[in-house]
Amino acid sequence: MTRVKEFNLPDLGEGLTEGEILKWLVGEGDTITLNQPIVEVETAKAAVEIPAKWAGKVTRIFHPEGTMVEVGQPIIAIDTDPGAGDLPTPSAASLAAVEVAGDAPVEPGLIGGPAPGGRTAVLVGYGPKTTVAKRRPRAESASAPVQRPPVVPHEPATPPPPPTPEPPPAPAPAAVPRNGAVLAKPPVRKLARDLGVDLVGIEGTGPGGSITRDDVLGAKSAPPAAAPARVPGEREERIPVKGVRKLTAENMVASAFTAPHVTEFLTVDVTRSMKALERLKGMPGWTDVRISPLLMVAKAVLVALRRHPMVNSTWAGDEIVVKRYVNLGIAAATQRGLIVPNIKDAQQLTTRELADAMTALVGTAREGKTPPADMTGGTFTITSVGVFGVDSGTPILPPGESAILAFGAVREQPWVHKGKIKIRQVTTLGLSFDHRVIDGELGSKFLRDVGAFLKDPEGALLAWA
Amino acid sequence: MTAAENLTLGKALNTALRRAMERDPKVLIMGEDVGKLGGVFRITDGLQKDFGDDRVIDTPLAESGIIGTAVGLAIRGYRPVCEIQFDGFVYPAYDQIVSQVAKLHYRSQGKVSLPIVIRIPFGGGIGAVEHHSESPEAYFAHTAGLKVVSCANPDDAYWMMQQSIESDDPIIFLEPKRRYWEKGPVNVDSASLPLHASRVARPGTDVTVLAYGPMVRTALDAATAAEEDGRSLEVIDLRTLSPLDMRPVYDSVRRTGRVVVVHEAPGNLGLGAEVAARITEECFYSLEAPVLRVTGFDTPYPAARLEEEYLPDLDRVLDAVDRTFGF
Repeated sequence: MTRVKEFNLPDLGEGLTEGEILKWLVGEGDTITLNQPIVEVETAKAAVEIPAKWAGKVTRIFHPEGTMVEVGQPIIAIDTDPGAGDLPTPSAASLAAVEVAGDAPVEPGLIGGPAPGGRTAVLVGYGPKTTVAKRRPRAESASAPVQRPPVVPHEPATPPPPPTPEPPPAPAPAAVPRNGAVLAKPPVRKLARDLGVDLVGIEGTGPGGSITRDDVLGAKSAPPAAAPARVPGEREERIPVKGVRKLTAENMVASAFTAPHVTEFLTVDVTRSMKALERLKGMPGWTDVRISPLLMVAKAVLVALRRHPMVNSTWAGDEIVVKRYVNLGIAAATQRGLIVPNIKDAQQLTTRELADAMTALVGTAREGKTPPADMTGGTFTITSVGVFGVDSGTPILPPGESAILAFGAVREQPWVHKGKIKIRQVTTLGLSFDHRVIDGELGSKFLRDVGAFLKDPEGALLAWA
Repeated sequence: MTAAENLTLGKALNTALRRAMERDPKVLIMGEDVGKLGGVFRITDGLQKDFGDDRVIDTPLAESGIIGTAVGLAIRGYRPVCEIQFDGFVYPAYDQIVSQVAKLHYRSQGKVSLPIVIRIPFGGGIGAVEHHSESPEAYFAHTAGLKVVSCANPDDAYWMMQQSIESDDPIIFLEPKRRYWEKGPVNVDSASLPLHASRVARPGTDVTVLAYGPMVRTALDAATAAEEDGRSLEVIDLRTLSPLDMRPVYDSVRRTGRVVVVHEAPGNLGLGAEVAARITEECFYSLEAPVLRVTGFDTPYPAARLEEEYLPDLDRVLDAVDRTFGF
């Protein structure tokens, strides 16, 4: 411990940089007591008496009265143990040994310079520490770093964790459902999912009875007892949602909850369309063509779309995209599920080309060979629910399309025809449309035109095409 | 200047301000005692002498006026660098900052830019009195229209200050005042990172420790100490608090599975809460433990003799690191 301590002019008020030594109250050689006033200093704000920080003997006074001293400069040196004998002759070495010594280029006590207590001098405050941060001593060696009990929020009373998984005697942490849930942290859950291991039924050996990686791996390698097998006679069957089913679900949810759907129905007498189809089959070049009422509906839609192009459009947030081409989607039930391939640029096709395209489309779909490009970019879709014997429906729009037509079963029904009740071939059309794009008026006119075509195809073609 | 200088963080800031003023005559410095005195931390030392008192302006003690004046100057094409003398003095200017500085660009539909830098020496650790040790970063990071950054070493101090002054957006520049006197190498030839990027300050494999400003040093000290325990901490210096640069954080967490966020500001609704939420959203399946926070307490900043109990230190960081292994 250094005997001689230097006392620096302190910051007597916020922002003080210097002060004038007004009057020394002690002299070199005086013995002073702790807190004895030693000097009167005048600052910009007031004259202040400064008390002694240490008791002892004054060995040196650095500045005469009347001098301006910068804050942090030493003003007095005090021998704190004068009874211990004479001091050695002051030398450079002994001056360097005073407590505030430092190697900073800034003089001791000046802002940025060293300050007592291993700190750096600042204008306001004791100053930041310059010492190197050290950790507090630890109870045990570093080889066993985790000494504290694990933090398990829901299990305040659990004993320490592995490596000794000694089950607590009293209420053993229930291994399985507690409040219906299993305990496992996220990476373990993911591991279980990746391995196809069901966490329910695994006994957890981790903190608080949680399931660990090892538990999952153990369950994976264990005989299938852990994984509940699907035995005959189970009352429920669980089918993983994937592939076409998953895609269909995502598309339908996306569409149903973003596009406000409106559905309208029209029941129409299609007897003349059926007769026209029969005549078509007898025409040259058509004998080997497979044609169905769907062809008439497709043709009707294409003709009606030309009259109402807004129906063939997409809602794109801040704009509506009206397509000048028709990629006509035909919903097809296949073994893999519902798919909707579309006929590109159907508006350019002749009726014969349209018929061929539909035949090819449905054939490819049934074989499960529809290329992905055929299933994207549709602009209008027809779903032929009539083939299942139902009358109509309220179809959900394929995402990105603004209208979809359901074509119901064609049935012989009593119908008022030319003022008399006759047996006629009648069907019900159902048109769902996106009300953001299509208002009731437009939707109704479009549906009415499709119906008018099917009721009198030759007349419609003559009148509109 | 040689390529790699060894400077204190404070001197690096001073040099950066000087470079910016030399490069662009529109750069002004305003604040309380920044001119004649050179700032209470001497960050603007010598600048008024060399650039004149109409470019380095001693303002009245009125923070609201400093920022309000800077808004007008910025609209007319100047690039004011305002010093708020201490963190706890910024609140009179808070209205100007959130109502004008943050919103004028938006309000004018992008026609007006405010290239203002608001320097705030922040955080504790210097044994100071009330109002002199606060960490107000969350107030500003929460405000859309402000960018908030904090440097942790002299090289970042040098480059981030110049990048901030060059930015056309208003920037709250938080300076870790207790680290002003810590020295480090400064590469004066080129910046190693853009302004809004976080950085792995020390690579590791077991636990990711996130910090910024004054706590980066604390986190690095903790990483050194943790080596004794056979644990490898990866320390990431966030550097930019708004916008956050989370990509290096996510990359790290996916490798370590354990995260400790450290800041001096109180934990309640602090930056660590936002960081923890984002990590949970992006790295859920990688998390071996919940994201833990080591922060100041939810009290006013204490009197100077108690601050070492309040401020996160390496022991509290190491305790949290231990806790991440208890799940």
